[in-house]
Amino acid sequence: MDVGTLAFSALYQFGDAFAFLVLSACGLAVIFGMMGVINLAHGEFIMCGAYVTVSAAHAGLPLPLAIVLGALVAGMVGALVEIVVVRHLYDRPLDTIVATWGLSLIGTQGTLILLGSTMAGVGTPFGSFQVGAYSYSLYRLVLFVMAVVVLAGLYALFNWTRFGVMARATIQVPHMAAALGVDTRRVYSLTFALGAGLAGLAGGLYAPTMTLVPTMGTTFIMEAFVTVVVGGADVFLGTAPAAALLAVVKATMTSWYGQLFGQIGLLVAVIVVIRVLPRGISGFLLRERA
Amino acid sequence: MPLIETRALNKRFGGLHVTNNVDLALETGEVHCLIGPNGAGKSTLFRLILGEHLPSSGAILFAGEDITALKSFQRIRRGMSVKFQVPGIFKALSVRQNLEIAMQHHYEPAHLAEEIDKLLAFLNLAADAGRLAGNLSHGQKQWLEIGMAISLKPRLLLLDEPTAGMSPEETHATGEMIQRLNADGMTVLAVEHDMAFVRQVAHKVTVLHLGKVFAQGSIDDIVANEDVAAIYLGQTTAHATAHQQPGGLHA
Amino acid sequence: MNALTRFLRRLEGPQTLGRGPLFWAGFLVTLAAACAYPLFSDGYTVGNTVYFFTWIFMALGLCLIWGYGGSLSFGQTAFFGIAGYSYGILTINFGAAYGFTFVALVFAVAVAALFAALLGYFLFFGRISGVFLGIVTLSVTLVLERFMAQTAGPEWRIGAARLNGFNGMSNMPPLTLPWPGGDIVLFPDVELYYVVLAMLVVVYLGLRILVNSPFGNVLVAIRENPERAEMLGYDIRKYQLGTFVIGAALAGLSGVLYTSWGQYITPSSMGMTAAALPIVWVAVGGRSDLTTTLIGTVTVLAVFQALTIHGSQYALVVMGVMLVLTVLLAPSGLIFALARLVARPFTKRLPGDA
Repeated sequence: MDVGTLAFSALYQFGDAFAFLVLSACGLAVIFGMMGVINLAHGEFIMCGAYVTVSAAHAGLPLPLAIVLGALVAGMVGALVEIVVVRHLYDRPLDTIVATWGLSLIGTQGTLILLGSTMAGVGTPFGSFQVGAYSYSLYRLVLFVMAVVVLAGLYALFNWTRFGVMARATIQVPHMAAALGVDTRRVYSLTFALGAGLAGLAGGLYAPTMTLVPTMGTTFIMEAFVTVVVGGADVFLGTAPAAALLAVVKATMTSWYGQLFGQIGLLVAVIVVIRVLPRGISGFLLRERA
Repeated sequence: MPLIETRALNKRFGGLHVTNNVDLALETGEVHCLIGPNGAGKSTLFRLILGEHLPSSGAILFAGEDITALKSFQRIRRGMSVKFQVPGIFKALSVRQNLEIAMQHHYEPAHLAEEIDKLLAFLNLAADAGRLAGNLSHGQKQWLEIGMAISLKPRLLLLDEPTAGMSPEETHATGEMIQRLNADGMTVLAVEHDMAFVRQVAHKVTVLHLGKVFAQGSIDDIVANEDVAAIYLGQTTAHATAHQQPGGLHA
Repeated sequence: MNALTRFLRRLEGPQTLGRGPLFWAGFLVTLAAACAYPLFSDGYTVGNTVYFFTWIFMALGLCLIWGYGGSLSFGQTAFFGIAGYSYGILTINFGAAYGFTFVALVFAVAVAALFAALLGYFLFFGRISGVFLGIVTLSVTLVLERFMAQTAGPEWRIGAARLNGFNGMSNMPPLTLPWPGGDIVLFPDVELYYVVLAMLVVVYLGLRILVNSPFGNVLVAIRENPERAEMLGYDIRKYQLGTFVIGAALAGLSGVLYTSWGQYITPSSMGMTAAALPIVWVAVGGRSDLTTTLIGTVTVLAVFQALTIHGSQYALVVMGVMLVLTVLLAPSGLIFALARLVARPFTKRLPGDA
């Protein structure tokens, strides 16, 4: 095998890991970074997006539209959850985790009761291509592109739109934003819905690549947590570099020792990072601005 | 040898130079007040001395020992104690328990209850011993925290606006208490806005302005210093609310 | 007052509900009822009751870490699993003779505590607190679960003990008391019931003494205001670490008892769903007190058991609903909320208010 194919293989592994980390984590990171809330039902929003996507695809909707629908439905469920539960707990962050964990139990087990232990999936589109002796899935490249698109989209949203500016104002000085006429409750609801919608998008995008079971959310959440913990409270200065760093660790460990050690590598990376940078990468980058 | 000394102490937050080459020294037995307009860097200097922030450069010495790299609790164990600006008490616990937590390692278990009773009486809180600390009046909370701070029998007592929110009578009583503690040998460094209080207790005053030591001397020197008045007045024109601070310099 | 009486007086104090003759009379009556219970029941039912009891240690440990110390650990089932597997590995390899199962119990709990000490060192000395502590402990737990789930191959063995992947490890010997004239094997029956009940009483009373001691004082001080606690000269990291290790050891004890009770342990006993359950038990009863935690845990487990007749997924949905409702409507726990409701006409204030 020549150097070119080796390099491509490494890049592909990295891109695959990076996309998975970014897409799993960005919904969680938006909610955590903007609201200081850890949403333990994150995995269930991912599952929701995946289930809606696959159901819609079975009903005949083209896959891209089905994925969008999955994200939208997850976002709406997120808005509902914010209004009914999360809104009442903003002054008690630990209780928010506990309550969203309750929701996660309800989501997983409720799906199990209503829809059974598994759901027929849709096949992975686009097929594969060949580089050197190995074949690669084209859809994985699409996922990588989507991860970059999501990051770019979030950047545009928070910097160039009215909602983004209001949201950032609300996060930085809530009472000031409120005094300036920003409806902070609505901003929080929308932010939570956005986070849930991004989770749903991740679910929809990965739905064609995996088996649909009610507990599929747990496949994502560890990676999502780890990325957010390493990244800290900022999506752009935190989540993206954290995902890149962890993708290197994961891709390297996975290609040497297998899937499981990829995850163990992630965990070790986290524990080392929190010992050295307790507030994550973004906390480190922003520390002098305190 | 000074009890506490900062040498060329600097702290930068990004582009902000919050503590700028501060040299401050307190002799044992001194009551020293730190004054200055809002944003002068008083609180940061306090946090540097306490070890809640680490300085960007410079050194802090306590009784001759370099404590720059020590953690907060290690500094406390060497004989410092602090009362915060916002009362740092354990709100969901009783007044007695608050003191017990502060004192339990400083007294024999057999004498602990007795010592707590003494301190409660000293703080005028004997009747409230069983109440939750969170339910005390603001002044009482301040007293409770002062009580917790002095129960450690510190060599150096750090007070961050000890009279904030107190009535003039309470303020005066607090001043008397500090004088009594000082008479027993305690060294005191206080951040304070209330000039009547400063006049009552301070042996020496340091004015901080924009992170630097602006002036230092006796209270009379400072009050007579027109430059000091100017920085406060400058503050007043910049922020219309500043003159409402209790007992501002020009009041 | 000599040291021993002072020690025993800590059985009651500001950090625990229940004091005075009335409370202790109630305690003794409950204990007597618990002791007499096997006389009025059959071995099978008694054995099932032991199953309830095994979980209470983990709940009390979480109560200590969360309710008293204010740190929320989501990783209790990790310590549960580590100790359970350790017990299995030790007893499968070395057998049950000469009371070795109890040696294995101690070792297994120690392994869990050691793991907690290592993890806790990174967490607390890195000054991790609040929500981050929760996610890191949960991540560790999930990775452990996944790790154990993929150990199905024959190469994953320690001595004679196959880890057996997703299906879990089984056929380890139950706890066995050495006895003149033949060892007593503690199958889920009356003998095991008394052993576990005795452990429970010791742990409960021991924890009461601990939380009312100077250590417990510092613990609640850290929960209330960590900065102030540090500024009284306490190295709060050490206290947090100590609490975490004790809580982990108790979770480990649950793990060993559970493993020896059913003679099996699986990776899913550590997973997301399993990890949520201790949180439910502790939160629903009232996390800020040992007694309410104890009562809450037993009650929730009984409700869970009753619901499981209709299918365990229904029971889990109900657990989730209970958790959400408790957090929303009675944040300090249902027992406190009920007590407040009952006591409202009589008294102005209850501990756990504020």
